[in-house]
This record gives sequence, C-alpha cells and structure tokens, in this order.
Amino acid sequence: MHRIEIEAEIDLLNENRRYAAKNRKILRERGAIAVNIMGAIGSGKTLLIEKTIEILGDVKIGVVLGDVVCRADYARISKHGVAAHAINTGKECHLDAHLIHESLKKMENVDLVLIENVGNLVCPVDFDLGEEFRVVMVSVTEGDDVVEKHPEIFRLADVVIINKIGLAEYVDADVDKMERDARKLNEKAKIIKMDLKLNAGLKEWIEFLRGVLDVSGNSC
Amino acid sequence: MILENVLKIADENNARNVKRIRLEVGELLMINPVQLEFCFRAISRNTPAENAVLEINTVKAKILCLKCGKELDSIHALCECGGGMDVRGGKEIILKSIEMEVNDAQNRN
Repeated sequence: MHRIEIEAEIDLLNENRRYAAKNRKILRERGAIAVNIMGAIGSGKTLLIEKTIEILGDVKIGVVLGDVVCRADYARISKHGVAAHAINTGKECHLDAHLIHESLKKMENVDLVLIENVGNLVCPVDFDLGEEFRVVMVSVTEGDDVVEKHPEIFRLADVVIINKIGLAEYVDADVDKMERDARKLNEKAKIIKMDLKLNAGLKEWIEFLRGVLDVSGNSC
Repeated sequence: MILENVLKIADENNARNVKRIRLEVGELLMINPVQLEFCFRAISRNTPAENAVLEINTVKAKILCLKCGKELDSIHALCECGGGMDVRGGKEIILKSIEMEVNDAQNRN
C-alpha cells in the first residue's frame, strides 16, 4: 500500500455559473430581462413587485418567488393575474441558477422576469442567477448600519432601494448615511429612496424598469 | 459537492482511504472554516474520506483602486484618494488536490 496525490483543480462553484450562462442565453433569445430582487425579510420586496405589476399593466411580467417554506407571497402575487412560480428552497437560504432555469422553462411568454430571492442579505450574493440586473432592497427599520454591515451585496448591486423612509424619524435612522454607505461601496449603482406606503420613489423605479425594457426591445 | 468529488476521484483511483484534501476558498465567500470542517466531518462519516485532513487555504481577492491603482485590503472603504474599487477573485472554491492510500497491486493494474 502506498500514498498518492492527485491534482484535481476542480472549481466547485462552476455548476451554478454554467446554469447562469444558460439562463442568460435563454433570456436573451426571448428578448426578456430578469431582475433579481434581494433583501431582508420584511424589507418590502413582495409589495414592490405587486405595485410594479399594477403600474406596468402593459408589460408581460413573470414572477419567481423564493421562500423557505411558505406560499403566502405566491398567493399575493398570483392574485394579480401574472405568470407566477413559487420555489420553496427548504433550508437553502438563496435561489440558485438551476432553480431559476427550471422556472424559466415554465415561463415562456414574458418580457420581464422579477425574481424575489429568499429574504436575507448574505447567501444570495454568491449565486448568479443569469439576471440582467441585481436589486438590493433594505428598509430603514433594519437600522441605518445595515448597508455597512453587508458590504458585498451592495457592492455588486445595480440598484439599491432604501425603503420605508417615512418611518426613519420614528426608528432613529439616518437615510442619508445609508445612501452614503451604499455610494462608498458602489460608485455606479442607482440609489432610490422609497416608501411604498406613501408611493415615494416608485416613479423612479418604474422609470428604471421602462428604461431597461426599452433597451432590450430595441436590441431585438 | 466537496465530498462528492473527493469520493469520485478516490473511487477512480481504487483508493482505500483518503488522507488529505486540499481546498482553496475565496475570502469573499466568507465561509467559516470551522463550520466547513464540522459539516465535512458529519457528511463524510462511514466513507473512505472520514479521517481525511481537510486543509483549507483562504485565498485573498485582489482589490485595486479604480482611480490610483493602489492595492486595498478590504472592500469596506474607499481608497484614500477617494476612488472606488475593482475586485477580482476571492469567490472560488477549488478542490486542489487529494492524497489517498492505494493498494500496490491495484495501482499496477
């Protein structure tokens, strides 16, 4: 008996990247845009999607909802009459490209895919889903240090939404500090200060979506 | 996925048992090596890899200032010149190599 050493050099996260590339290709072929919405539980992701569906009535929207066990978000979204697909991840705290790949197969005739990731600011960061844009949504009630505590997710975002700004004074949160922290980590991201209950910031968000949908429509 | 790949390679080489597993983990994945070791111990029980030493090397990301090009230590702050950062690497899990014990007779085949 003797000992041998095998050089493996296997990239263990490659499988997700492979599926993300597949998803990107499918979306491009369909001329569709996927937006990955990440954020903590209670930050307002589902309400944002509901309002978006209401306003963008002329756009064919599909929604993928990631949740650990429950289907409550799915019930909220499917009421709006759009193509919705719920993914229960079980103990997994994020969506991955393979799960999205399965959802995309069931969702052919849509121009905008809104993906609501599982609620947290840590695990979804490392899983590229094949999306065109990454959105991070936080609310002032999470504390105004939430941005600096989770640098990686903000660094990689295309859009940062700071929600519930109407509550800032009641929870002693400094919205400008949150905005400054996000800007420090990410020079390019679009930062939107929002309050969905007051309809603040919603116009900016819709303009952003209209903008990216126009670009995608023209390129086909 | 670590164990799956290790056992596959061990099997391909007719190994009796796995002695050492070398992994490279990118720092930005923020994987706690203690937890990784704990999980590996739990899932590798009763497999040829159960007593293997898990050697975890943390690999740093390369973080450069976009403005002045200076190398930065962390993604937490701006460069002293006020520039933003360009981050490369630090997000991989690479199974580098595996040491295992093989039977002499089998190895000759």
